[in-house]
Amino acid sequence: MASLNTFGSIMTYAIELEARLHNYYHQAGNLDRAKIADKNRSKLERVRRENVTEIKLEPIDGLDEANYDFDLSDTSAEGQQRVESMAARFYADVAPKMNVREAERMLNRVGKQHAQFAEE
Amino acid sequence: MVEKLKNYIGGEWVDSSATEYTPVVNPATCEVIAEVPDSPAADVDAAVSAAKEAFWEWRTTPVLSRAQYMYRLKALLEERFEEISRTIVEENGKTIDEARGEARRGIESVDFAMAVPSLMQGYKTEDISSGIDETAERQPLGVFAAITPFNFPMMVPLWFLPTAITTGNTFLVKPSPQTPLSMQLLYELLDELDLPEGVVNLVHGGIPASTAVMEHPDVVGVSFVGSSAVAKIVYETCAKHGKRVQAQGGAKNYIAVMPDANMEASIVNILGSAYGCAGQRCLAGSVVVAVGDAYDKLQEELKDRAAKLRVGMGLEETTQMGTVISESARERIEGMIEEGLKEGAELVLDGRGVKVEGFEKGSFVGPTILGGVKKDMTVAQEEIFGPVLSMIKVDSFDEAVEVINNSRYGNAASIFTSNGRYAREFKYRVQAGNIGINIGVAAAQASFPFGGQKDSFFGDLHGQGPDSIDFYTDRKVLIERWY
Repeated sequence: MASLNTFGSIMTYAIELEARLHNYYHQAGNLDRAKIADKNRSKLERVRRENVTEIKLEPIDGLDEANYDFDLSDTSAEGQQRVESMAARFYADVAPKMNVREAERMLNRVGKQHAQFAEE
Repeated sequence: MVEKLKNYIGGEWVDSSATEYTPVVNPATCEVIAEVPDSPAADVDAAVSAAKEAFWEWRTTPVLSRAQYMYRLKALLEERFEEISRTIVEENGKTIDEARGEARRGIESVDFAMAVPSLMQGYKTEDISSGIDETAERQPLGVFAAITPFNFPMMVPLWFLPTAITTGNTFLVKPSPQTPLSMQLLYELLDELDLPEGVVNLVHGGIPASTAVMEHPDVVGVSFVGSSAVAKIVYETCAKHGKRVQAQGGAKNYIAVMPDANMEASIVNILGSAYGCAGQRCLAGSVVVAVGDAYDKLQEELKDRAAKLRVGMGLEETTQMGTVISESARERIEGMIEEGLKEGAELVLDGRGVKVEGFEKGSFVGPTILGGVKKDMTVAQEEIFGPVLSMIKVDSFDEAVEVINNSRYGNAASIFTSNGRYAREFKYRVQAGNIGINIGVAAAQASFPFGGQKDSFFGDLHGQGPDSIDFYTDRKVLIERWY
């Protein structure tokens, strides 16, 4: 597992996570959620592209992919809830570590959505 | 078989008439990824002729239409953003985040050029004498050229080209032969815009091509970024040949840290400044001047944090510091570290001999810290252009300013403090063109001029911002009376 130690590694992990969730919900037959995940991926890609600020690229400590163990084989309702809880935790952990406001805001927004889905 | 790069002249990709080609090397793998022609003066002459021929039609194209090309260029740059960023990494060795940041800053210069219809407006005063009105209007001048460096192969050409052509000039880029692929890609995008043939031209090469640009009678102005030694030659040669010139040179950027600074924030900023782009940027913090008690804590913390930076292949998202540009750069940087040690500096953190698994041939130098540096040592005075941070201890703010102003360079300087008076005094007294207050990399955004003083800049109008409008236009004065 790799460390989430840069702006790009965090944003890319989030982008790839949403792509994985898109496939996961397709498999689960939950097409609404699949569509939302794809939209999130696209928004996060835009944020990574538009808000990387070279003068504020600073090392980030204390985050690792290993802390986020997504079980994407279980497509049951309980499985989906666990995935959403894990996603919410990931976004809650990484958003405050970003020193770029737009990125922090988008990660928070997507995280809140996952937290909401986890409670549904 | 690697690609032999072509020049772009008069709206077409054409073979160079060069007899020699130079390999373009990926500094992380040492693989040859292309071959770049050492274009002779004849190729430059062909490009300038095409640009000269295109000038009148382009100059008479309405400025709003010229600006529209910038909107389309921006769209293409956004669409190919990741490809551009990866190309920068492959030829330069910086991290993918840094490459994305570079591409973004390049796009910001395109954004700036979109505003040229407003920015190049003139001004008028009625009745400067009875019944006489006076107007100053901006006009483009002709063929401009840019000679650009390896460290920001996409961003630096974009500082110049968008504003130059949107103000109505035609243009020629001669990029660094070490990193020509970003420009190859940019010109593929420019080709898609269907600009009139000859408005933008690209000639690859080294000294012969650069000399031909500087001496060509039909080139009206040159923008240059590179080392101070070459910037001075460019300035003198262009002046001798009657051209406008803005020549940005090298740097030795000092970072003063006061005991009252927010140490945690300062350390993170200093790390980014010293080791971002492996120290190969003209705004890299190179010398920390720590005042009083700040020194010991800073040195210890910087050592711990710098040692943890992940050095590696730039395309891996978790890499925090990439390569330097070449093996010869690595040898030169390591030689300067050695020189610092011989002059009495203390080796706090040694980045020499770093090997990265899977990229054993890569040109890596790890984060290095030299402590106990004195202000007259070579490592405190000369540009290293690598990930080497020298640390000087001084007793007072005044002494810090004296050390900084002792440098022959004046590109950037920063202070970390929570005291507004020190911040103001620093800004007021320090002889550098870009000042950072609690900012490690004082990089001007596209709508501000990129400053530079002393041996860091030769010329009077800087790149970027309003200065660039002045550089690429002339003000013609009209005095009129009607009977």
